[in-house]
Amino acid sequence: MGIEVTDLIKKYGEVTAVKGISFSAETGKVTGFLGPNGAGKTTTMRVLTGYTPPNSGKAVVAGYDVFEDSLAVRRRVGYLPENVPLYRDMTARDYLMYVAEIRGVKQRRDRALAVLNRVGLSKRADSRIRTLSKGMRQRVGLASALIHDPEVLILDEPTIGLDPIQVLELRDLVKELGQTHTVLFSTHILSEAEQVCDKVVIINRGEIVAQGAPAELRAELERGGRILVRAGGDPARLLEAVRQVDNVAEAAVAPDGLVITPVSMVNDPRPALVRAIVQGGFDLLEIRPVAVNLEEIFLELTRRSAGVAAPQQEVEVTAQAAEETDA
Amino acid sequence: MRAIWAVYKRETGVFFRSPVAYAIAFGLLLLLGLLFNWDIASAAMQQTMGQGGVSADNVISGAVGLLTFLMFLIAPLLSMRLLAEEAREGTLEVLMTLPMGDFAFVTGKFLAAWTYYTFILALTLVYALVLVAFGSTLDAGLMLSVYAGAWLYGGAVMALSMIWSAVTEDQIVAAFLGAATVLVFYLAAILSQLLAGQPALAGLSGFVRELSLPAHYNDTLLNGIVRAHDVAYFILLMVAALFITTIIVGTRRWRAS
Repeated sequence: MGIEVTDLIKKYGEVTAVKGISFSAETGKVTGFLGPNGAGKTTTMRVLTGYTPPNSGKAVVAGYDVFEDSLAVRRRVGYLPENVPLYRDMTARDYLMYVAEIRGVKQRRDRALAVLNRVGLSKRADSRIRTLSKGMRQRVGLASALIHDPEVLILDEPTIGLDPIQVLELRDLVKELGQTHTVLFSTHILSEAEQVCDKVVIINRGEIVAQGAPAELRAELERGGRILVRAGGDPARLLEAVRQVDNVAEAAVAPDGLVITPVSMVNDPRPALVRAIVQGGFDLLEIRPVAVNLEEIFLELTRRSAGVAAPQQEVEVTAQAAEETDA
Repeated sequence: MRAIWAVYKRETGVFFRSPVAYAIAFGLLLLLGLLFNWDIASAAMQQTMGQGGVSADNVISGAVGLLTFLMFLIAPLLSMRLLAEEAREGTLEVLMTLPMGDFAFVTGKFLAAWTYYTFILALTLVYALVLVAFGSTLDAGLMLSVYAGAWLYGGAVMALSMIWSAVTEDQIVAAFLGAATVLVFYLAAILSQLLAGQPALAGLSGFVRELSLPAHYNDTLLNGIVRAHDVAYFILLMVAALFITTIIVGTRRWRAS
């Protein structure tokens, strides 16, 4: 069943938050929804949970269209919103019982206890939510998303604001849940997506820049992506030598070496580069694709989608746009 | 229905645990108690001076009449929190992604507020008990009409002021706008009198009067006159207000950010 999104567009007045994205999330997998703040992650998730209707396009969740069959979708989805809104005056148990009752869950008392156990919070079942720490509240929110054993789980930045140990615990839990459920998990922390997700969908400014398994994405970028070279010797002469090589469009000095941009994505310039460096009498220390982890893949992709602009500025601009949308 | 019941139970619990709700009830009952005391004192005074005095029926309808008038303040204070707080805390997003219609939780919340009002109204029965205990007789039919009317009146006014709780996340703003709205419906009776004095606008006078709250309570039910269309007026006002509230909550889905 899972999630199937086709050409989804969502506007808030003049602002188009999501610009016709398509992706899917399968059962038994954790799909990471990755992007900087304000990229459209929360908006997309709100469409998928039946909170806000899309302007156009289609989104099918657990076999039902979010627009046509909103209630059917909501029955089958467990949702953890970004800042985990909870009733602070209720106890964790009462809150879960309340959600369970609205959802029509049978044997609410047992079920509430079962999900509290699942998230490791049974000892604090009768504490008022306002007395719980941020991490515990996050777990109460997650428990409430699990109370009806949903087919699809949508978690909006569940690890934000947690301490490192809690983050690890939560990631393990998400991974475990992903084996039996469809999990869509948003984050702006790239290493997290790499650790937890079977599949990653990268979104920037309301558009999908790439999707696939983390390893696939890395492989794709290694082919014809930018290359980092570290070599001993006179940097100026090295730069000169490298620039002579066929298929090298540009070479620039970076803090940890030379960053080389090839002309085309097809011909790998690395063999020629190695020869040129070695024959030129330099000591070759390292040659590798720039994009080796998701952090760098992400910067690479956003750099490509933005054309000339530097990645650093790019992220800032998007973050600004996000604040404007939020306001 | 299941969802309405769940929301109703939670919300009623919040009212009965809320110190603010009790403070409002305390202030109201204090005022009514003073009025009652004054009524009794002046009745006793008149009796010793050999005058007819105030009837027990009038003491009760006077107290309940004042209560319904004060509802322009009480209703917004009780209903301001209902949706505004959920919107501000973000819990509205959770409610709106649960499998229930928007009308369900709006109705559940309204019914809880109405229940709390019913509790306050029921407390004023103590005055009737005091009067009966000291030998007065009350007209049962009149009392039923006065109380049932006040109950409907309170529900309608509560539903009206709840609309503003859906519009704004600021409870104070919601309360002010709610009070203003209820006052408009209350003062429409006076406006209709002013209009009646203007030959050009006299036709409008009857219509404005029909919209006003006193025309359907103070002039009828409070005096024991039960007319079907007065009852219909309050029920219609409640249902219409709940629908408007539901629609406003629904627009959040479109402007959600």
